[in-house]
Amino acid sequence: MKNSGLKNRIVIIIMSLSLSLLYLCINNAFAELTVKANHDHIKIDSFYNGSSVGVRGISNPVDADLIIKITSAEGHQSLHEKSKVGSILWMNTGELKIENVPNVYFLHSTRKIENILSREDMDKYVLGYPSLEQHVKMNVTNEEDKTRWFNEFIKFKESSKLFDTSVGEIALKEKDGKQNYYILTQWPYQAPPGNYTVTVYAVKDKKVIETATANILVEQVGMVKSLAEMAKNNGALYGFLSIMLALGSGFGVGLVFRKSGGAH
Amino acid sequence: MYLYLPVALTSINILLPIGLGLIVGLLSGLFGVGGGFLMTPLLIMLGIPSTVAAATDSNQIVAASTSGTYAHWKVGNVDFKMGFYLLVGGFIGGLVGVEAIKILRAMGNADFVIKITYVLMLGIVGAYMFIESLSSMRKKKTEEVTAVKESKIAAFLKSLPLQTHFEKSGVTHSVLVPVFLGGLVGILAAIMGVGGGFLMVPIMFYILKMPMHVIVGTSLFQILFTCIEVTFLQSYTNHTVDFTLAVLLLLGSTIGAQAGAIFGRKLKGEQLKVLLAAIVLAVTVKMVLDLTLAPSLLLAQTGGH
Repeated sequence: MKNSGLKNRIVIIIMSLSLSLLYLCINNAFAELTVKANHDHIKIDSFYNGSSVGVRGISNPVDADLIIKITSAEGHQSLHEKSKVGSILWMNTGELKIENVPNVYFLHSTRKIENILSREDMDKYVLGYPSLEQHVKMNVTNEEDKTRWFNEFIKFKESSKLFDTSVGEIALKEKDGKQNYYILTQWPYQAPPGNYTVTVYAVKDKKVIETATANILVEQVGMVKSLAEMAKNNGALYGFLSIMLALGSGFGVGLVFRKSGGAH
Repeated sequence: MYLYLPVALTSINILLPIGLGLIVGLLSGLFGVGGGFLMTPLLIMLGIPSTVAAATDSNQIVAASTSGTYAHWKVGNVDFKMGFYLLVGGFIGGLVGVEAIKILRAMGNADFVIKITYVLMLGIVGAYMFIESLSSMRKKKTEEVTAVKESKIAAFLKSLPLQTHFEKSGVTHSVLVPVFLGGLVGILAAIMGVGGGFLMVPIMFYILKMPMHVIVGTSLFQILFTCIEVTFLQSYTNHTVDFTLAVLLLLGSTIGAQAGAIFGRKLKGEQLKVLLAAIVLAVTVKMVLDLTLAPSLLLAQTGGH
């Protein structure tokens, strides 16, 4: 009797597991996600003042929510901390060091991320500021300080236009049984040259069911590139030319004013 | 129209730096100051990183002070001999000041010392010049007291060795006086990260007793060489000079410096001093407010003061 009961339980467990696996397989077999950034090579020339990037693709199932994350590679950042000295003066009093943090972080979602995704997946894919806070390492002594300075960090980055979030700005349109999505984002001139990753997450039942990625390359070209490289790699020549230009301009304008009688 | 700045990594409406250069160049030509104490904070307000703002400002001051020195030289208002001794002192003082900053940074209170020095120097110089110029304009000077003070200082200065006559300025001083005073300004300028024109001008007037119009030209001559040195060092060691931004600034500042030199000759010395004092005091008030009012952001880019 005991053996048959045990067997029954084992059979039930195996069947449950099989059904769960089947459900997941079916779900994923039908999950489809594509992504394409329409402006994936941004060239910084002399007249560059930022750009715009359109991200579009197809998502299936049609009822999946979408999260679009655009980030730079993670790295180290260092900023001055301001606080009051002697209860009167605001000054730089320390240095905030943050590890594992991207310089650029844009996050767009069809609905509020907290409402469509479990905290576990938010942390796993670093989606949303609370998850980013968990993800980064900071030179602070306690959690209270970490939250305080992380919030200040977000304020600083948003004011520099390097961090941004939006909800409900992804346009969705159902076509041929699939969901077409599109978002046009403003690319700030403050975002430095480098490689950026666009990741789209299809979300259903509070879980990420599919991801797709695309890349954006931002690079300096022409005169901007030449000057930036000379400043970095040949500082002596760059300095000499800067001084010569300044001296030449000063004398040049002086001569013009003299000829026009301005200096007399 | 916008231009992208390759070192500052930012985009800027070209009218802003040209206009800024014009205004600061005008002040430069009028008063013989480089304008760093005014230009650098304004550039930071336009979104330029503080290190790039300070370094690029030095580069544009080279252009403005060349233009200004040239304009003043053509009308005989540059005392090259005095400028040379001040420059020697300034160079030595600059080296001492840089070492002082290194020690302060190691002690961890450089930022406090820099800001307090800035506010005190600007405040004291501005207030003294303003009050003194106003009272002399109103001719309410108590000449007897001044005469006593002057005689004591003059007696001390005359007792120093290596006396030499500065023809252009019409004064006789020991060589040690301009070298020492130049050194003092050099130390303060290095600590504060500015050219020191706003300190040098009052020193030339009140201690060296030089005529105001020669002061402006001579100060510009000294600032020119200081800023050439700073521009080269910033380019070579920190890579923070933005050539494009410097060109935009100097487009305005070179013309402004010429215009300043023309207007300066139409104003009296006392009027020039009152105007400069008012500007120095306005900057002091702005700095005090920045220090005492809670900032909107508690984090800032590293690298600046």
